[in-house]
Order: sequence, then structure tokens, then C-alpha cells
Amino acid sequence: MDNKEIEILLIEDSIHDAELTIRALRRNDVAKHILHLRDGAIALDYLYATGQYTGRDLANKPKLILLDLKMPKVSGLEVLERIAGDKTTYKIPVVVLTSSKEHPDVDQAYLLGANSYIVKPVDFESFSQVVNAMGMYWLLHNHPPHHT
Amino acid sequence: MPDLQNKKQVSSPEHKELPAYNDIKIGSDKLHSRDESRAALLVANKELALQNKEKEKRAAELIIANKELAFQNEEKEKRAAELIIANKELAFQNEEKEKRAAELVIANKELAFQNEEKEKRANELIIANKELQFQNEEKEKRANELLIANRELKIAEDNIRMLNQEDIRKLNEALEQKIINRTEELENVNAELESFSYSVSHDLRAPLRIVNGYASILHDEYNLLFDDEGNRLLSIIRESAKKMGFLIDDLLSFSRLGRKDIFKTLVDMNLLVSDALKDFMRTTPHTATITTSNLGPVLADKALIIQVWMNLLSNAVKYSFQNPSPRINITCEDTENTITYKIEDNGVGFDMRYAHKLFGVFQRLHDAEEFEGVGVGLALVQRIIKKHGGKIWATAVVGEGAVFYFSLPK
Repeated sequence: MDNKEIEILLIEDSIHDAELTIRALRRNDVAKHILHLRDGAIALDYLYATGQYTGRDLANKPKLILLDLKMPKVSGLEVLERIAGDKTTYKIPVVVLTSSKEHPDVDQAYLLGANSYIVKPVDFESFSQVVNAMGMYWLLHNHPPHHT
Repeated sequence: MPDLQNKKQVSSPEHKELPAYNDIKIGSDKLHSRDESRAALLVANKELALQNKEKEKRAAELIIANKELAFQNEEKEKRAAELIIANKELAFQNEEKEKRAAELVIANKELAFQNEEKEKRANELIIANKELQFQNEEKEKRANELLIANRELKIAEDNIRMLNQEDIRKLNEALEQKIINRTEELENVNAELESFSYSVSHDLRAPLRIVNGYASILHDEYNLLFDDEGNRLLSIIRESAKKMGFLIDDLLSFSRLGRKDIFKTLVDMNLLVSDALKDFMRTTPHTATITTSNLGPVLADKALIIQVWMNLLSNAVKYSFQNPSPRINITCEDTENTITYKIEDNGVGFDMRYAHKLFGVFQRLHDAEEFEGVGVGLALVQRIIKKHGGKIWATAVVGEGAVFYFSLPK
């Protein structure tokens, strides 16, 4: 049971992409407490304290969710839909990660309540800069309304 | 010839018939008989009386003849008078004829002159005639051609008429079905392309991102463990992955363009180019002196046309940075139906022999080591211009510079 407080929940099926994202976020001390989950089903379990996360303290919510759209089993869009439709989670900012802005799901993601999206560039330096800017914005400058 | 006249007198019958006095005297001398003498005298008397009468007749005849001669004389006198008058008349007529002759000489000359003129005119007419004849022949030829064309038309018309309403309806239906099928096929192909684009975009980029990302981490966090050569090799890995990322992006824009509908608005080219230049000069490591003249507005898809300018300007700067004072000149030429924009640089130029390869995908006319790029930019530019119904072309001289032109319909 992982009940520790986390800042960023990263939902991403590729461990390498996840590692790069985490490194980028840690590099500038944007976030220390990052949880990486490898698919949508596990992410939903975590968010709603079901499955392997049954009994987790629901008051412990991530401050930001980074969500990959293309995942096996439960897709990013489905996760987004659940988050946006649930009163316990709809206030958590969600930033969508995508390999391409060509992805037809990007528009759909906005409709479902995504706050922003990041196209993961090939160049790690650029990616690092974008991820950091995004993390700083949502974690440090943006003050979401208090969770109930 | 007096002798001849005398002889005539001698042989005249009048002299023979008249009895001579000598003969009568001789008879009376002979005295044969009184009766015979008396009879002879009677005869002689009668002879004399006869002669007398003859002479009287003769005198009367002479009188008549005289009168006749007198009459004839008068007649001749009259005639002579008449002849004098006639003569005068003739003299007058002569004069008149002379005058007339002089007039005729003049008239003759005039006629001769007119004749010459007529001859000239005749020659001209002959030439004109020939020309007319030629024209006539040509017209006849043309008429024949028209006749044939007419016949062909008539046949075509008949053929069309033969297709009755029913045939036309069937043809239409078949065509419509064909269009529906074809559209469906195209939609499927399009959807496939769409998903292919996405796969390419996503699936090819993901591993590249990993290659570049991990190489970057090695470079940033483990650089002390590598010597210079190791770090150089790492840089090459990172750069290559990055470049392939751009290549994929470019290819995707290129293929996306094929499917995208263009949305035309009136674009202020002055504003658009100055924005493009600002954007572009911020990111390029090179500098250049850029002059722009007034650029006329045009109906175009703004988002696409800005890509055209970005590509052409970045090429112009990229290929002239080796010149110690790179200059780029942007102008435009406005004609009735099109507007042509011109981007001129003083860079390395290119060999006109390879100009046809300029706008092909992955075609590069320069060394990739010397000038970065993946060879999609101009293909993309050409595709955008063609989608607008325009044209793009270029001229260049190696070592002196290149001029790129693109024209768009108004």
C-alpha cells in the first residue's frame, strides 16, 4: 500500500518515456514526489482506492496528473473521462502527453477537460524545458481551488 | 500625123457617093440620043434635088445640132459654176478636215496614253486576278474542309441522338455509382493515410525520443566518465536522432497538406513577411541584410503561405551565410491575372542543370554536412503553391546566388 503524499501522478505505459519525464522534472527540482503508473486501469485504481490501492487515503490527491493518451487496456481518454466526471477528482489539473499533435484524441482530450497538452519532442533538451515550465506553472504558480 | 488624116478623108464613103460634075459633062458630049440626054438631065436634076434636100436636111440637122451644142454649152457653164461652188465647199471642207486631223492627232496621243494606262491597269488586273484565283482556291479548300467537318459533326450529332433518354439515365446511374464507389475508396485510403501518418508520427518518434533522451542524460550526467571522443560520439547520436525527428515532422506536414483543404483569405503580404522575418531571424544563427519592397496582397491560405515564406527565407539565409555580406532582396510583380513574389540572395546558388530536382522530396543539391536540412522544405513549398493554383521556379548561378519566384493567381 502506497499511501505517501505525491505531487505528480504520471500515467505512462512506456517506462523509458516515464524515466525521461521524471528526470526532466527532477532536474530542476520542480517535483520530488512523483508516482509513475504504467496503465490506465492501475491509475484508476489508485485515484479511487480500488484494486491494489483499496484502503488508500483518498484525501491524498496528486497536485497534477500527467497523462499519456496512448495506453493499452484503459486508454488515456477513458481515464480523463473518469477524472472529469468524478467530483472527487475533477479539480485536479490534467496535462495530456502525446507523441504528436496529429493525434485525433488531442481535441477530444480538451473536450473532456484536459487543461493542457504537451507534444513530446524528440529532442530531450526541448522536452525537458517544456516539462519543467509546465510543472512550474501547475505546481507553483497555479493555485487550484481547495479540495473538499 | 497629117498623112494619116488625109488618107482618112480620101477613103471616106461620103466622097464616093457624091457624083462628080466632070462625069455629067462627059455624058452630054457623047450625044448618043436626045432622050437619053434629057433622061440623063432628069436624073441629074433629081439627083441634084435629092442632094439639095439632103443638104437642107443636113442644115436642119446642123441647126438642131447647133442648138443642142448651145444647150450643152449652157449646161457646161452651169456645171462650171456649180463646180466652182463645189470647189469652194471642198476647200472649206479641207480646212475643216485639217483642223479635225490636228484634233485627231491630239486625241490620238491621248488615246495612246490612255492605252498605256489601260495596259498597266490590265497587268495589275492580271496579277489581282491571279491572287483572286489563289484565294478562291484556298476558299474552296477551306470549304471542302468545312464540308468534311460538317459531315463529321452531323455523324456525331446523329450518334448522340441515337443515345436515347433511357441510355443516358443508365449511363448517369452508372457514373453516379462509380463516383460513390470511388469516393468511398478515397475516403478509405484517406483514413488509412491518416492512421498511417499518426503511426509514423507516434511510433517512429517514440524510439527516437528514447535514443536522444538517454544520450542526453549520458552527456549531461556522465560526461566526466567519457573522454572528448566519447562525448563527441554521444553528440552525434543526439543530433542524428533530433534530425530524424525533424524529418518525420516535415514529412508529416507534407502528407497532411495533401489531404488538407485550403482556406483562402486576403493576405497582407507586407505584414506576413515582416512577421515571418521577425520569427525567423530570432531562431537562425545567421544574419543577413534583408530588403523588402512593397508586396501586394493576395488571396491565399495564410497558415500555408507563411510556411512558404519561412522555407524560402530560411533557404536564402542558410545558403548565403558564407558570403561576407549576405543580402536578401524581396520584391513582387503585379500582373493582370497573377502576382509574382521574388526572393533573391547572393549565396552559393546552385547548378541550373539540377534545377528540375530542386522541388523533389529528399532531393538536395548541397552537401548535408555543409548546409543542414532534410530535403523536404522546397517540396512542401511547391505543394502549397500548387494547391493554390500557382507556380514556383528558380534560377541561379553557382557562387553568385539564387532567385526563387512564386506566383499566385489573383
